[in-house]
Amino acid sequence: MGYRKDRVRFNVGGRIFETTATTLANAGRNSLFGAMFDDSWNLQQLDNNNSNDYFIDRNPDCFAVLLDLLRTNELCVPTNMSEKLLYREAVYYGLLDHVRSAKWGPFDGNRLWLSRTVAGQAPGDGTAIRAGPDGGCCVAHGCMVHVYDWMLDEHPTINLDYQRVNDVGWLDSENIVVSVCERLGRGDGGMGLFSSSSGELRDKFQVSHENQVKSFTAGALSFSSDYKIFSSCKGRSNEYGIGVWDQITGKQTDFFYEPLGWSLGDADKLQWLNGSNCLLVATLFPRKDNCYISLLDFREKKMVWSWSDMGAPIMVDEKRVRDAIAMEESNSICVVNEYEDLGFIDIRNSGGSVRWSSRSKLMKGKMPDEPCYPKLALHEGQLFSSMNDSISVFCGPEWVLTSRLRRSHGGSICDFSIGGDRLFALHSEENVFDIWETPPAPII
Amino acid sequence: MSNQKKRNFQIEAFKHRVVVDPKYADKTWKVLEHAIREIYNHNASGLSFEELYRNAYNMVLHKYGEKLYSGLVKTMTCHLKEISKCIEAAQGGMFLEEMNKLWTDHNKALQMIRDILMYMDRTYIPSTQKTPVHELGLNLWRDNIIHSSKIQTRLLNTLLELVLRERTGDVINRGLMRNIIKMLMDLGPSVYQEDFENPFLEVSAEFYKGESQKFIECCDCGDYLKKAERRLNEELDRVTHYLDARSEVKITNVVEKEMIANHMLRLVHMENSGLVNMLLDDKYEDLGRMYNLFRRVANGLSTIREVMTSHIRETGKQLVTDPERLKDPVEFVQRLLDEKDKYDSIIKLSFNNDKTFQNGLNSSFEYFINLNTRSPEFISLFVDDKLRKGLKGVSEEDVEVILDKVMMLFRYLQEKDVFEKYYKQHLAKRLLSGKTVSDDAERSLIVKLKTECGYQFTSKLEGMFTDMKTSQDTMQGFYASHPELGDGPTLTVQVLTTGSWPTQPSVTCNLPAEMSALCEKFRSYYLGTHTGRRLSWQTNMGTADIKATFGKGQKHELNVSTYQMCVLMLFNNADRLNYKEIEQATEIPALDLKRCLQSMACVKGKNVLRKEPMSKDICEDDTFLVNEKFTSKLYKVKIGTVVAQKESEPEKQETRQRVEEDRKPQIEAAIVRIMKSRRTLDHNNVISEVTKQLQSRFLANPTEIKKRIESLIEREFLERDGTDRKLYRYLA
Repeated sequence: MGYRKDRVRFNVGGRIFETTATTLANAGRNSLFGAMFDDSWNLQQLDNNNSNDYFIDRNPDCFAVLLDLLRTNELCVPTNMSEKLLYREAVYYGLLDHVRSAKWGPFDGNRLWLSRTVAGQAPGDGTAIRAGPDGGCCVAHGCMVHVYDWMLDEHPTINLDYQRVNDVGWLDSENIVVSVCERLGRGDGGMGLFSSSSGELRDKFQVSHENQVKSFTAGALSFSSDYKIFSSCKGRSNEYGIGVWDQITGKQTDFFYEPLGWSLGDADKLQWLNGSNCLLVATLFPRKDNCYISLLDFREKKMVWSWSDMGAPIMVDEKRVRDAIAMEESNSICVVNEYEDLGFIDIRNSGGSVRWSSRSKLMKGKMPDEPCYPKLALHEGQLFSSMNDSISVFCGPEWVLTSRLRRSHGGSICDFSIGGDRLFALHSEENVFDIWETPPAPII
Repeated sequence: MSNQKKRNFQIEAFKHRVVVDPKYADKTWKVLEHAIREIYNHNASGLSFEELYRNAYNMVLHKYGEKLYSGLVKTMTCHLKEISKCIEAAQGGMFLEEMNKLWTDHNKALQMIRDILMYMDRTYIPSTQKTPVHELGLNLWRDNIIHSSKIQTRLLNTLLELVLRERTGDVINRGLMRNIIKMLMDLGPSVYQEDFENPFLEVSAEFYKGESQKFIECCDCGDYLKKAERRLNEELDRVTHYLDARSEVKITNVVEKEMIANHMLRLVHMENSGLVNMLLDDKYEDLGRMYNLFRRVANGLSTIREVMTSHIRETGKQLVTDPERLKDPVEFVQRLLDEKDKYDSIIKLSFNNDKTFQNGLNSSFEYFINLNTRSPEFISLFVDDKLRKGLKGVSEEDVEVILDKVMMLFRYLQEKDVFEKYYKQHLAKRLLSGKTVSDDAERSLIVKLKTECGYQFTSKLEGMFTDMKTSQDTMQGFYASHPELGDGPTLTVQVLTTGSWPTQPSVTCNLPAEMSALCEKFRSYYLGTHTGRRLSWQTNMGTADIKATFGKGQKHELNVSTYQMCVLMLFNNADRLNYKEIEQATEIPALDLKRCLQSMACVKGKNVLRKEPMSKDICEDDTFLVNEKFTSKLYKVKIGTVVAQKESEPEKQETRQRVEEDRKPQIEAAIVRIMKSRRTLDHNNVISEVTKQLQSRFLANPTEIKKRIESLIEREFLERDGTDRKLYRYLA
């Protein structure tokens, strides 16, 4: 009897499917099947009826694929099936999350394959690409931000008064923060919070100095796990520094003014460090003549660590820092020069020097006409560095080069980002970006 | 049958639908609206889930999301207004029952409505920033039911009344109460707080204010605390049964404030039943209750602690300064120990072994024990008493317990060096007279002293034990090399290392000829085996066993001191001797001689000598003769010396002086040690560091330290800084 009771028959668009309630339970309560078989929907009615199957007015081919997904946790899309159609059906049944998590595996920098390349129509060089938490991404181009969901459908574009975008970031899968330049004397620009699905402006972040709201240019962005937003800010009357806002209320909660002889307001990169409760602020060449890297503790309003190449002997290009990233596990900051040499600075004591690992001297003299300077990213103990048209992956305590991602066309990579178990690489020459994924787990 | 009918109706409606129908949206919504009503009416079994789901999907797909959403709000609001009327209409006790029932229904319906509208909930609502269906249902319930003017105050009053009834002893339906409170919590923390918690706390404060006033007027402290504890437990119980766990702190704070904090001092000082009385009567349970309750409020424990310590200080001070009590040192120390035991068990049983209380107890003891300068002497005497006789027949563990307790008192002493002085004297006496009960106990105490005060403190005491042991071997060697000595008197010599023992400058008396010959032999034997040593006789510390025959032939063995032996031996050759003669013959110092004669002539039962004239005291012109009538039941008679067990006033002065003398080099050594490492230091720091360094031995007197510094400056160990006179420099 129990066995009989477990069996379920569906008539989907005319085709009969037979499965078990156990399989359907894999869909979870928050799906059509979960609701349908809940006790409150007393479905005995069918027993009174002649036909003993549930009718569903949907595409049977897609249903077959999705049923297999529930059976095996694996997604096998026939070549003749449109992915878009499948996704639409998955949304109907409430199985989109299942599809997404089955589509690609947990991120591993050494097992990436190029899953897609997306081209857009935006003119000129891209500014930044940012991976969203659920596999989507957004691309900043000039004064526009293009938003793509994980299915790589493009959503309405975002702009803040059509001002030049400096940085973008995902607060969560629904919300994007955009920081832009201010226009002289117009009081617009600054930072805005946008809906990722509709592109609507939801909130504008304001800066006030001595209780007066001021217009400002917002630069690099960073978010903390305790719901704060950080941005480097340049105000009209030399009000330079780092602004802090609350993600929930949108109100400014703090402002760290730039100390004399240092740079915060022009910063290229902000990074929130969870473990030490500090914000990394890096201002780099060529925005400034010198590099300034510091760690700020907002609770004590103190710069707890700093490093600069000011006063160093005649600037050699090889020693010029182009990007920096803090690695909390090893208590150090990784920096990179324009030849993709990695360097490390210890953050346990101030005033240390960079320990360069001269690895890629080969690059010298072989720079392309329009070089893109290296960028760094860190993901679960793997260090990524982009250089020209490839991205290198480094692993282990000694940061050994373990993989290199390269694609022959599209020009140099001007920015890349890792998130939602995907790596997005934005190329400079054409408005093209690549999506790299780890394939789902093998069958055995 | 009615189900059958309804289904038919739906299928009809569906058949007629065409996608291009301009009224499509209206029709679809009608179907859904009907379904929502049916769900509320418990008629859901007649509905087709798939169809409804598809309809809602189609509406959203065809951009009628807004219509669907606003329709939902309207339908649900309308339905909730009806529900609200039902609840309002409920009479008296049925009010909560009805609300609970309808709330359960609403929740179930809400879940089903969300199931139908799942597609809208997932796609349309997030992109338009609207409230999700489930939350919407809760918000509408809140606005239409809980915050409706006819229900809001009634609900609050009903809840508060039920709580009051429960507080006054009635039994209420806790399950229902829990469901209603749970509903308020589900509607959001602010609803729970504003519509219940805050007023509840206010009413509770009022209630407990009144009740505590009533209790404090008519109860004694113990009873009041019992009642307060019960109330507190009741509130905790209430929280676990039907309130939000986060209310626990808030409501207990109210009870604590109203019942305890506001009456704290009055409770502690309550006449005849307050804290002091509890302490006096060892009311462990009441004390424990007070501790546990007072611990909950600010300053609660410090209040108890202060009263307790001041009480201990007060009684302790009386104890150590009462001249009556000072008569018997053993009893004096026993009383201290009893007092300590009493409070130890109070702290253990009632005060949760609280460290701060232990510290309070310790500092109080330290305070009053040192009020009496004789405490070190008395403690040593207590040990002496225990080790002489007190520990006979006591098991090893119990000995340890007693010794540990003594050590505890010792720790309180500031003048540990004074104790050491006395301890050394008493130990010497015990060792030399062979009176110590247990060698193990002696050594165990030394080990304890060593761990407490370090090697230096006990090295001399240990030296005394070593001397005793070596002396035994020496004596064996002596007799082995002089076999001819078997017949004569037996000599036992204990060779004491100078310095280790509290020897006084020796005033040797004249020993009887037999003895002094023997002594000479021993001296030559000893010096023969150990070269480069000097022996001098401490006749004041020895004992002797002599055999005596009295007038009617009664024979006794007398156990006497060396001095007494010398005196008695004189009577072998004379019948009567006067004081002067004895003094001349023996050369015993006058004071000792008087004591020794007194003990032999004036103590009843031990009077082997007769004195003329008969009187209590010895005068210079007394005459002594052998008491031929001496009798005793025992063959062996121990003739003690009349010694004041406690030191007499001049002796005390002398000991004191010696202690002071001994301290000088120690203070100087400390100063030099400190200055050697610091090179320069100002006066105040020198004083404080020296005090700290010497703390484990005694409390150094600042004026004395200053004198020592002066002396070191004179001897050019230190100098004053040229410019800053308060600064000292070390001169290498």
